[in-house]
Amino acid sequence: MPLPAQLDRAIVTGSLTAGAIGLPYILVVSVLGIMGRINGAEVVWWLLAGLILVGAIGSVTSNNVVHAALSLVVAAMGIAGMFVLLASEFLALVQVLVYGGGVAILLLFALMMTNASDDPIVVDGSQKPFGFGVALVMGVVLVSAMVGASWNATITTVVSFRDIGTRLYRDYGVPFEVASLVLLVALIGAIAIARRDTEESDAA
Amino acid sequence: MSMAMAGILIAIPASIFVLLALTWKVLPRGGDFLVVLGFLAVWLLGLGIAADFTKHFHDGVFAPNGANVFSFDWINIGDGLFHIQFSTWVDSITVTMIVVVSTVALMVAIYSTGYMHGEERYGWYFAALSLFVTAMLTLILSGNLLQLYFAWEGVGLASFLLIGFYWERQSAAEAAKKAFITTRIGDVGLLIGIVLLWRVAGTFDIQGIIHFAEEGGFDKTYLTVAMLFLFLGAVGKSAQFPLHVWLPDAMEGPTPVSALIHAATMVVAGVYLVARMMPVFDVVPTAREVVLYTGLITAVMAATMGLVSNDIKRVLAFSTVSQLGFMFVALGMGAVGVAMFHLFTHAFFKALLFLGSGSVIHATHEQTVEHLGGLRKKLPITTWTFVIGSLALAGIIPFAGFWSKDEILHTAAHSHPMVYVILAGTAILTAIYSTRVVLLTFWGEPKDHHAYEHAHESGPIMAGPLVFLSLLAISSGFVIFHSVGAALGFPGGILETIFTEEPEVFHFDPVFAATAVGMSLAGIGIGFAYWWGDASRAVRARAWAPELHALLVNRYYIDDLYQAIIDRVILGLGNIVATFERHVVNEAGVDGGSQLIGWFGMRLKFLQTGRIPNYALAMAVGVVVLAVMAFRSA
Amino acid sequence: MISLTHYLVLSGVLFALGFYGVLVRRSAILILIAVELMLAAVSINFVAFASYLDAKLFTGVIFAIFVITIAAAEVGLALGIVLRIYRERSTANVDEASTLKW
Repeated sequence: MPLPAQLDRAIVTGSLTAGAIGLPYILVVSVLGIMGRINGAEVVWWLLAGLILVGAIGSVTSNNVVHAALSLVVAAMGIAGMFVLLASEFLALVQVLVYGGGVAILLLFALMMTNASDDPIVVDGSQKPFGFGVALVMGVVLVSAMVGASWNATITTVVSFRDIGTRLYRDYGVPFEVASLVLLVALIGAIAIARRDTEESDAA
Repeated sequence: MSMAMAGILIAIPASIFVLLALTWKVLPRGGDFLVVLGFLAVWLLGLGIAADFTKHFHDGVFAPNGANVFSFDWINIGDGLFHIQFSTWVDSITVTMIVVVSTVALMVAIYSTGYMHGEERYGWYFAALSLFVTAMLTLILSGNLLQLYFAWEGVGLASFLLIGFYWERQSAAEAAKKAFITTRIGDVGLLIGIVLLWRVAGTFDIQGIIHFAEEGGFDKTYLTVAMLFLFLGAVGKSAQFPLHVWLPDAMEGPTPVSALIHAATMVVAGVYLVARMMPVFDVVPTAREVVLYTGLITAVMAATMGLVSNDIKRVLAFSTVSQLGFMFVALGMGAVGVAMFHLFTHAFFKALLFLGSGSVIHATHEQTVEHLGGLRKKLPITTWTFVIGSLALAGIIPFAGFWSKDEILHTAAHSHPMVYVILAGTAILTAIYSTRVVLLTFWGEPKDHHAYEHAHESGPIMAGPLVFLSLLAISSGFVIFHSVGAALGFPGGILETIFTEEPEVFHFDPVFAATAVGMSLAGIGIGFAYWWGDASRAVRARAWAPELHALLVNRYYIDDLYQAIIDRVILGLGNIVATFERHVVNEAGVDGGSQLIGWFGMRLKFLQTGRIPNYALAMAVGVVVLAVMAFRSA
Repeated sequence: MISLTHYLVLSGVLFALGFYGVLVRRSAILILIAVELMLAAVSINFVAFASYLDAKLFTGVIFAIFVITIAAAEVGLALGIVLRIYRERSTANVDEASTLKW
């Protein structure tokens, strides 16, 4: 059966893979929750973690750059959920706004303007095996370090918007201003770097 | 006058040197007036110190043989661990030297304002002169061997600068190098000797070393070796055989410099050193014997070479070498007072002779005696002062040279008869070559008429020092007399009084003196016989023994021998070393290393792919390794 | 019960994934996406620590805010640079920009 023009092989295989792994996963987590082996928060956590990992893996492995960017948005949304679980609603909102609204749009615009989606589908460099090995060692080291340490701590309070505002403007006023300055500079810099030179535009 | 003035004595010429070296180009007259006035002050101060010394001599201030009158810390390492003072030691030897140096220096400075007039580096000449006097005064006032060595090199440097004053002239540059390198050979010996003494005695202080040696602190053989090394320094500086070769060539320098440095002061530094260390030499008679025979060989050899030299200044240079040999003979016999006395008189009459020859050269621009002649009528003052100097050199009573040479002969006659005979023969030779120079230069017919016509006396600036020094050439020997000594403040005569270490009572033996004068007269007679008139006899004598003449003219082929050694041995060794350096050190070591690095670089450069992912990967590997290390250690 | 270790392991895995992306991707934009992933991992780490260990001051949350801010600025600026490179060289692939070569 010929595939429709909008669907290429990658989308189909990706969707099928996600479905094959994702549905049983969701099922297992849900069943565990219903059986009372894990509580509600944990069910949500595992689902979010799965979502994040799917998004992250997609964003670094996808051969289609647009899919990679969209996968990043998926991961970012999952992370926003994690922030909710971590009792930082404000951060969750910021995450959604900045990543979902800002970064993703920027990336997509850049992809569009560089016609990167038209590039031949060789998105990974020649050092892929080495990179994979190094990253794997890095992940193993990090995870074993995280697992090795133990903390006896639980979430006690919810970080309210008011508290964040107080902390941010009272104690971190100067860094806040500096950050705004950085944003301004980045804005101006991006415009200055990306705009066409006058001669070029004249020639064009 | 305070004895602490001894420090100022050195400070005056030192400050003039610094001032002149920096500003001679802008000062009017190149700052020569500063030098003359400064040397005048040094002279007056020097005489004051001498007077003070005589006055205090019996007060015990200088008992038993001198005092350190002014000093400051020069080097102090480890708070006394290695402590050297810059000292001014005043005793009879120092006082004699101060008088000689300051007097001749003043005369030469005055004379130079006339002689050097119009020179391009006129001011620099005087600056170098000040440097020399500074170093020389430091040398003679030094109370320790390290300071002495420092000053010793200082006078060597000044001598180098002044011999090479006309450095545009190849021969002058060569002569300066030759003088510096030849004396340097001796200087190394001196340094070794000093270190050898210090190693055992643990001090550089001269009196300390003398004391140590007299108490028998040194092993005899060790001390002999050390003193011979020390004497090697004296041999180099005082142009004794076999390191005498530099002095005749040093005549390339301006003539007043020859008078000051290469006749009266620097070249006697060796005599001074041996005299200063005489108590130590007394402990090891073998070393003293070496001094004696070195002096004897030099005296004879230089006198014979002086017989045939055609350069008026070189004759005087050979004569200086010969007379220095006399002094070393006296020292070798342990007669410090006699040696210092001859040093004293010789400084004046030899400076006079040099300045006289300078006057001739200044008038005629000619210094080859065979081209001169008949100048008596044109240069009367020069002629008669030169004659006075020559008579003093020849040893005619009552001129200064007679008294001191007579003392040496007298000492030799009583202890070393053979030495006496040889010295007497040398004295005859001295008279012969003195006569020869006088006759060829001032008598006879002028050979170069152009030079002769233009010759004229050069005015009071240059005649004044000649006259003053000729007065000293006549009178300076008289200090030997008891009455003169008493008048100067030394009851019982100067020699007997001030050299208490070696009291040598002066006996004027009429018969002995008559013999000496007779020999000198005989020498003068021979000189007249050969060189009076057209000197035909001398020409025939030369034809009679051409080989002997060639031997003497070529200075016993010693210079050639040294040249051969340098060419064959030293340059040969140098070639071997150079080859080793070129092929092993340079090509394999230096170039090889760089080529190795280059070779690796050519291959390792491919790591620089220019691709950022590669760099990122390399960095990531580093981060991972660090993470693993941190994780393992945690 | 969700423990702190849950979050830390999650952030570690995310970080390693981003690391992998940075190392193997050719396109500058894809590398940027991977960098964003790494930054997000760090954010989780910060916030998790703040919520579990620093409930009074929650400094980590403040830091996460700054991280997000800087990440946004970085993306804006970096994409400007990418555009520029693309216009100069007609590619956004970093391994083709090798003028630093020997």
